[in-house]
Amino acid sequence: MDRGFLTELIRAAIESIRINKLRAFLTTLGIIIGVTTVIAVVSVIIGVQKKVTDTFSSIGADVIYIQKYPWVMGARRKWWEIRKRKDITFTEYNALKKYSTTIKYIAPEMHSRVSLKRGNKKVEAVEITGTTHILPKINQQYVETGRFLSEDDVRYRKNVCVIGTDVAENLFPEENPVGQYLKIAGNKFLVIGILEKKGNIFGQSMDNVAVIPYTTYQKIFGSRRSITIVALAENKDEAIEEIRWILRHVRKVPEGKPDDFSINTSDALIKQWNELTRSIFLVMIVVASVALIVGGIGIMNIMLVSVTERTREIGIRKAIGAKKKEILVQFLIEAVIVSLGGGIIGILLGFLLAKLSSIFANLPFAMPIWLVLLGFLFSSLVGVFFGFYPAKKAAELNPVEALRYE
Amino acid sequence: MNKRKNRDLIKLKGIKKVYHLGQVDVHALRGVDLVVKKGDFIAIMGPSGSGKSTLMHIMGCLDTPTDGTYILDGMEVHNLDEDNLAEIRKKKIGFVFQNFYLLPRVSTEYNVALPMIYNRVPYGERKEKALKLLEKVGLSHRIHHLPSELSGGERQRVAIARALANDPDIIFADEPTGNLDTKMGAEIMEIFKGLHKDGKTIVMVTHERYIAEYAERIIHIKDGKIEDEEEL
Repeated sequence: MDRGFLTELIRAAIESIRINKLRAFLTTLGIIIGVTTVIAVVSVIIGVQKKVTDTFSSIGADVIYIQKYPWVMGARRKWWEIRKRKDITFTEYNALKKYSTTIKYIAPEMHSRVSLKRGNKKVEAVEITGTTHILPKINQQYVETGRFLSEDDVRYRKNVCVIGTDVAENLFPEENPVGQYLKIAGNKFLVIGILEKKGNIFGQSMDNVAVIPYTTYQKIFGSRRSITIVALAENKDEAIEEIRWILRHVRKVPEGKPDDFSINTSDALIKQWNELTRSIFLVMIVVASVALIVGGIGIMNIMLVSVTERTREIGIRKAIGAKKKEILVQFLIEAVIVSLGGGIIGILLGFLLAKLSSIFANLPFAMPIWLVLLGFLFSSLVGVFFGFYPAKKAAELNPVEALRYE
Repeated sequence: MNKRKNRDLIKLKGIKKVYHLGQVDVHALRGVDLVVKKGDFIAIMGPSGSGKSTLMHIMGCLDTPTDGTYILDGMEVHNLDEDNLAEIRKKKIGFVFQNFYLLPRVSTEYNVALPMIYNRVPYGERKEKALKLLEKVGLSHRIHHLPSELSGGERQRVAIARALANDPDIIFADEPTGNLDTKMGAEIMEIFKGLHKDGKTIVMVTHERYIAEYAERIIHIKDGKIEDEEEL
């Protein structure tokens, strides 16, 4: 079939769709819903993926977190066994510091959420971290102005703190906080520095924080609770093995028994995340397939109606010399145009939906070209697949009977 | 002209057509022998149910006979499949129907150009040809009108222009004046007369004597058989 002829068939198809605009639109709703779902969900997932990747790298892709509880529950682990674990304490911290050969930097972390006050100003639920001067070398978050904790601050349990930008803005809206005082749980602290802004992770501000020496932390909050040990190594996997070995010795875990501590890294989170997105993808594929099949059946139905309505026209075309294949292609083109039209509307709606959710959820927006092409491909495939039977039926009509059809 | 007129364009021999309607066999044609020479103008007359439409459909390659041989322009066509018959209809045959059978939603010009679209005539050429044919049937002022905006006579003239689009060897007209008043019918028949004068072969089905008399020869058909032939 030459190009001129196909153009004519496309024109004929568009003409016939134009006459039944509303019907064509209603027919294509299923396709619209299917394609919109795919485009919007995939785009949002890609956006979230980007965000999560950024977040994980801000957690520190190479940072090792030694904690009492795992971040991700394995299927085989039982929570009641984990609950019975002994706390992680400075015994472990000191042992790792003393015996590890692979760890480059190591620091303890203790956390609480309290409100901070200055005069009549107050910030709620600030995350207080008790640690050492080493922490920035591990988590790569440095001070913007002023200085971080020093070795002496830790050694002499000084009431000094480094604050996040949220705390700085709320308590010192018009002045430089460095050199000023604030109150943490009723204790007076000197502000020595402001941390670099970190932004939000999962909608939660990472800048509503204050960092104090762990020694001071213990003085105020006590030292009953389990601590987190953060570490950085050249070779993460090697370090993890060594840490396990040291901790099992220190905590006297009998051979053959599972670890009674958790070594967490962002790898596990990424793995968990990937599993989650995989199941979202699966659900989406099912939803989209159902919508596309429903849409396809709609198209088949409407094309069958169209063939019946236009029996006379088919007869005329055959009488003047149209071949079966030419009738078939004409009706296939019509079905594909209807479903492709739905696909295009779906792509636009999906685009819009993804854009809106990226704005409202504060996510990066992503609309890769392959996704758009996928939308086109699927919608036209549905048209061909479900349009084939009606088109075949049209092509097989007997010319005399078709002409006589009233 | 006269020399070529001797050539047999249509040769029917023992043409039978049986329709199976449920358990009843309807014998629409019971053995028809007929020769149409190039340049003939033939009218087929007969009461309704006589088989005249069936005969025309078979001669027009819209249908195939149950039995018998049909040689069209030297080629056996009674055994051809649908696509091959379509090819013959496209190249050699033009139809004019009682109910006009124009595509309702496209212009006069497009209707005339339609057979040329299937014949892969390039756009410019077929546009030119369509305009020429519409001029020939006196409708050059109606090229952008829809069929519904035309009178019955005008519609039939569009149909004639369409039938001529691919320069067919033969034109089949099935009761071409059946839906027209006498005056319009006469106008249409004048066009056929003109076409015949230009050398076109015309086979027309009608049940009106005065329409049939425009032809050179009248074939009377009854109960699926040719009963009588008269030269005019």
